[in-house]
Amino acid sequence: MSADDASGTGAGTDRESDAVLATEALTKRFGELTAVDGVDLRVERGEFRSVIGPNGAGKTTLFDLITGAQRPTSGSVRFDGEDVTALAPHERVRRGLGRSFQITTVFSGLTVRENVRLAAQSVHDASISRVDRFLRPKGSFEAIAADTTATLKRVELADRTEERAGALAYGDRRRLEIGLVLATDPAVVLLDEPTAGMSAEETAATMQLIDEVLADRTLVLIEHDVDLVLEVSDRITVLDRGRVLTTGSPEAVADDGDVQRAYLGGDRG
Amino acid sequence: MSDGDADTDDGDDESVLSVRNLRSGYGETEVLRGVSFDVGEGEVVALVGRNGVGKTTTLRTITGAIAPRGGEVRHRGRSIGGLGPTETAKLGIGLVPEERRVFPGLTVEENLQAGATGGATGDALERSVEEVLSTFENLADRRDNRGADLSGGEQQMLAVGRALTAGADLLLLDEPTEGLAPLVVDRVVEAVRAINDDGVTVLLVEQNVAVALELADRVVVMDDGEVAHGAPAAELREDSAVLDRHLGVTLD
Amino acid sequence: MVVEALVDQLLNGLTIGVVYVLLAAGLSIVFGVMDVINFAHGELYALGAYFAFSVTTAAGDPNAFWVALLLAPAAVAVVGVGVERLTIRPLYGRNPLYHILLTFGLVLILKDVVEFVWGPGNKSYPVTPGVLQGQVAVAGFDFPRYSLFVIAVGSLMAAGTWYALNDTRVGLVVRAGAQDREMVRHLGIEVDRYYTLVFAFGAALAGLAGVVLAGRNGLEVAMGDSVIIPAFVIVVLGGLGSFRGAVVGGLVVGVVQTLTRSGVVAEVFAPVPVVGELAALLPALEGLVVFGLMIAVLLFRPRGLFGNPEWQSSEGEGDLLVGGGGALGSVWRRRLALGAVALLIVAPFGVGLAYDGFVVYSLLVSILVWALFAVSLDLVMGYAGLVSLGHVLFYGVGAYGTVLAADGRVTDLVAAVPAVGSPLAAGLGALGYADSLPLALLTGVAAAAAVAWVVGYLSIRVAGVYFAMITLGFAELFRQVVVKLPASWAGSTDGLYGAELSYSVAGVSLGEVGDVVLVEGVAAGPVVLAREVRLLYFVVLAGVLGGYLLARRVIEAPFGGVLTAIRESEARAQFLGYNVVAHKRRVFVLSGALAALAGGLQAVTGLVVGVGPSLLHWINSGEVIVMAVLGGMGTLYGPILGAAVFRGGQELLSTYTGQWRALLGLVFVLFVVFLPRGIVSLPGELQRRLRERGGDPPTGAPAETPAEPKLEGDD
Repeated sequence: MSADDASGTGAGTDRESDAVLATEALTKRFGELTAVDGVDLRVERGEFRSVIGPNGAGKTTLFDLITGAQRPTSGSVRFDGEDVTALAPHERVRRGLGRSFQITTVFSGLTVRENVRLAAQSVHDASISRVDRFLRPKGSFEAIAADTTATLKRVELADRTEERAGALAYGDRRRLEIGLVLATDPAVVLLDEPTAGMSAEETAATMQLIDEVLADRTLVLIEHDVDLVLEVSDRITVLDRGRVLTTGSPEAVADDGDVQRAYLGGDRG
Repeated sequence: MSDGDADTDDGDDESVLSVRNLRSGYGETEVLRGVSFDVGEGEVVALVGRNGVGKTTTLRTITGAIAPRGGEVRHRGRSIGGLGPTETAKLGIGLVPEERRVFPGLTVEENLQAGATGGATGDALERSVEEVLSTFENLADRRDNRGADLSGGEQQMLAVGRALTAGADLLLLDEPTEGLAPLVVDRVVEAVRAINDDGVTVLLVEQNVAVALELADRVVVMDDGEVAHGAPAAELREDSAVLDRHLGVTLD
Repeated sequence: MVVEALVDQLLNGLTIGVVYVLLAAGLSIVFGVMDVINFAHGELYALGAYFAFSVTTAAGDPNAFWVALLLAPAAVAVVGVGVERLTIRPLYGRNPLYHILLTFGLVLILKDVVEFVWGPGNKSYPVTPGVLQGQVAVAGFDFPRYSLFVIAVGSLMAAGTWYALNDTRVGLVVRAGAQDREMVRHLGIEVDRYYTLVFAFGAALAGLAGVVLAGRNGLEVAMGDSVIIPAFVIVVLGGLGSFRGAVVGGLVVGVVQTLTRSGVVAEVFAPVPVVGELAALLPALEGLVVFGLMIAVLLFRPRGLFGNPEWQSSEGEGDLLVGGGGALGSVWRRRLALGAVALLIVAPFGVGLAYDGFVVYSLLVSILVWALFAVSLDLVMGYAGLVSLGHVLFYGVGAYGTVLAADGRVTDLVAAVPAVGSPLAAGLGALGYADSLPLALLTGVAAAAAVAWVVGYLSIRVAGVYFAMITLGFAELFRQVVVKLPASWAGSTDGLYGAELSYSVAGVSLGEVGDVVLVEGVAAGPVVLAREVRLLYFVVLAGVLGGYLLARRVIEAPFGGVLTAIRESEARAQFLGYNVVAHKRRVFVLSGALAALAGGLQAVTGLVVGVGPSLLHWINSGEVIVMAVLGGMGTLYGPILGAAVFRGGQELLSTYTGQWRALLGLVFVLFVVFLPRGIVSLPGELQRRLRERGGDPPTGAPAETPAEPKLEGDD
């Protein structure tokens, strides 16, 4: 595999310790189709990594494998040095692996505050005693309430806390979604096309928000917009038909003829 | 394929499909905020744009799978805004949806028969199952195989063939090359071209810009639920700035 | 001799099996094409038989049977068209579970209609054609002609259906529609018409099954009940939506059921040691074997033995609609609730002048008990999105646990445990266990919580319709166990009655449950001004209120917050770090415990303390669902309203008509179709309608409306 073409050299063990998220020979088959084909991904702490590729390249499947929404056919996922391949999605989230969805998924019947509160509660869940968990009013936990308020402020939704999430405008709902991710306090955030369907303006605003509130985390972004990716990423991994075509700096990827071909399909263009 | 224009003398009045200021969406989300374009007789028009800008929603609103919230859709001069998918199919608007959606448990032949069972009423273009099987030879070889057992390319052909046995003279193709290997993409491109030569008008949603530019007479670039740009494909091949702005791709 | 008996029973089994095939095929095709689980299928079967009864009775000629054989299924098909057009069609696009709810309402209606038109009591066709009577000798065995006729008709219809599905245009569209409904529409095919056709065809098959089997077994109003559960078992075994599965499953269940019941297997194996003794147990295990099989299949192969994953569409996976209209502010809601509680507290004191003791000690108690049962269901259905069709299991375990503790059998059981048994039993004796009402109730609750943990552990991994089926299976399994076990265990069919309980723990006693009176009655001469006020009523009130408050408290705690999140979006809840399955299991246990408390209270509030197997009938599971939906699920207080309306309506209507279930069923069906969020959403809906009629633009806050200006009040 050419996964680490541009990641420099160094002994395997060294890189092992730096990689907060790593996949090894990750493969997913659906019948005849191999959606993800032996992907070795190595994301370092603090990095902003983007995964690009044409439709059907296996980006979302790769995310599903990393987050545990799907089980791989073979291969493994390591997070923070631990093999998490066999863990359920919620266990990975608890270890610090957050995710946003391609189609905005918030709890649309609940208020904005309750949405964020639920995310904040998850972080404190282990410290809630059994009796409290079942019997104490959910609004009375001060630490959770404080985190909730802080998150609402950071994503600029502090003045709409009592609105039903489903009634928010699209951009606000995106913000709420990012707030949900932020409130679970993840070390690594997987962002699945956070700007899909947005105008150029909204896209810029959303990317700025991500940059502001999630800057100190490790980010892995799936994106179609190549320009956007070139601008924000530290490194870019290009997927094509389930395989890693290349990984490298934005400059290196932009100049890569293979990438152009993969994006434009076959030998056209 | 730009000589397709020769079939129609005066564009808009003779449009097979005319979409004006179309608005549509799901639940509380508005996806289309006023989309307008025309598809002329015998043309291939490609809708391109980034993920989520509303290309598939446009197709779904035209077929009536989603009710429009405003604006107008006219088919051969007749307003079809309130019609459902069954009615639009009967008018000869055939949908080949994303991921093909062939009937997995039916054989190739049965899939085509299902198309022939419904379909447009009394249209000259309606093709018999045998005609379609003779057009797509690779399908004829697999006529007794189940839809689920076909490869992606074969499923794509079958979905197109099924729309043809249903008598479509306007084909709406949603991402026909998605997930296909380059060689198979070529075959799909050829097939679409052959069908178009036969007189079927095509409205194509395509992620693969190169395919779109190659197949289409005209390209409609969508951005943010609106039409950002419309131009003959030949012109766009030269004007890479538009593609760069709206699609984030650069053609060398 | 044994061989003859075996052949005899095999033929019986095949006869029943073929009828099952007809029933299951219709059920299965309707599910495959429309995603509709039709609980009323058994009633359509009964209708077929009753139509045929009318035709043969009116004509008086033996050959009228042949006419009935054609006419009755056709008439049932017409009923099917009406049912599909009027009630099922409006629900396409909603969660398929609504079809279960709806068709359950149809069961209530159709059953009473049959009783109203044809009257209760068993019936049989006056005459059948001579050619179907008597025996015919084949290969040295005598076969009843009628059984052979049933098998012939069934085989012919099954073959015809198979042909129609696989070799006709209509069949092609039906199969295509089952796989991808939306795509069929896009081919210009009016798939909705095929729905009507398919439903009518399924109804006709059920009707035909009724016609032919009634010629052998006779007719009774409950005949639909007796086949619907086996039919479900067959469909689940064979795979929902699989025609082949329905055929194989029908024959297998028919034969297995008949053979195990008849004891002929025991006879065959009697000479063999061990096996013979095991075989002798079979007749007692008949129901267990079938339901056990169904549960096992659902757990390990949820799509059934012949289930084809492609023969399943899942279009229209809508949400379950929860109640709440927003018309009443929280302050007003609280005032209303406190007012209601105050009324309930003073209710027994007014007895005598305004109303008699029956109202308080039977009707109000019944409403309260069912209200708690409905609240318990709401926890799993309205919050965790799990439609449990077998909630009567926990209600029943609670009732049985309470009674078994009260009559000393639990103590006996404990004492029988080697080594630790006798000291433990002595300890229980010191606590006054066998007399204690609180301890008896506690026993029932604990037992049900344990059962709920096991059932939840096994079933929550399967979703939606399959979960509904598997819970139904467990509940039926439990009923079979109770009925089939020797009476010394749990009373069998007679039930357990007459145990005595006191308000006591460890020797401190307030007296016998029936005897403790708080206020003596007052009489002015012959006129009773006020009857005695019994403590038991307040125990029930406290138990129900306590249960409700506990449920509400839990819903408002962090745990309940997560449940609400799960209801909104399972995927999102999971990716916030919550273990969705574990939360569902825990709430299932809590729900089981509350249902058991309701069951225990039910058992101690009768004329005598006790319980019988009729309490375990699946219709009770259905009624509690009706109450929860009627009131408005996902609100906790809605189901209480639902229970009051249902039981109150029953009381009111039953003084005028024996067919009160049909009227309540009709109300329920109307709610499911037009007001699925229940009674609690009525004020909000009314406001909305009024506003729309008034031409005002709809505004976000329902603040000032001319209709009810004071409702929003001072929040």
